[in-house]
Amino acid sequence: MDVIGFVLTFVGGLFIVLGLIVMATGALGVLRFPDFYTRAHATSAGDIPGGVLVIVGLAIASGDGGIALRLLLLAALFVALGPTLAHLSAGAAHSAGLAPLSGPYTAPRPGARRESTPS
Amino acid sequence: MIGIIAAIGVTLLMALSLTRLFAGPTLYDRALVATSGAMKGALICAALAVAARRADWIDVSFALAFGAFVLNVAIFKFFRLRSFQAPLVREGER
Repeated sequence: MDVIGFVLTFVGGLFIVLGLIVMATGALGVLRFPDFYTRAHATSAGDIPGGVLVIVGLAIASGDGGIALRLLLLAALFVALGPTLAHLSAGAAHSAGLAPLSGPYTAPRPGARRESTPS
Repeated sequence: MIGIIAAIGVTLLMALSLTRLFAGPTLYDRALVATSGAMKGALICAALAVAARRADWIDVSFALAFGAFVLNVAIFKFFRLRSFQAPLVREGER
């Protein structure tokens, strides 16, 4: 009866399920949001933290020190790359002239359009 | 066992968000989904590495994550500049 292994697997599974729930929220946001900028936020705020939780859960449930160390390095890489990608994509779209959905607080740049390829 | 469950869950979520790749009205949506799909691929590779108990496959997942980052940078640079070639004349001159 391997108690330590059972506890590690249980805690790791809990983290993985939590991470999958957060990633499902992010995927639902990518499907349902009305604008590119909101979808970029859904990706960077749903996929990346959910992915980090899944990786941490896998590191706990693996039971092997070498695999766990490499998985924690992969989690650190996700944490570093996620906000960089979101900043990059939103900045590139804004400087190329993609207009956000207008609301009470947004003012699109002069010459901004709603479609990406100029017609 | 637990690695296989994580891999199947992430694959289902990737398939769910791939509809935006085909139905996205702008090109930026498709680039976003392509990048996030590649990062999910790195996650699937890490989950399969835990399932097969091989530490080498996690290095493959590192390479996939870095490749996804470089892919995103290249795509958005191309969208901003409209070509891969360096301009022959600087911005203010001509």
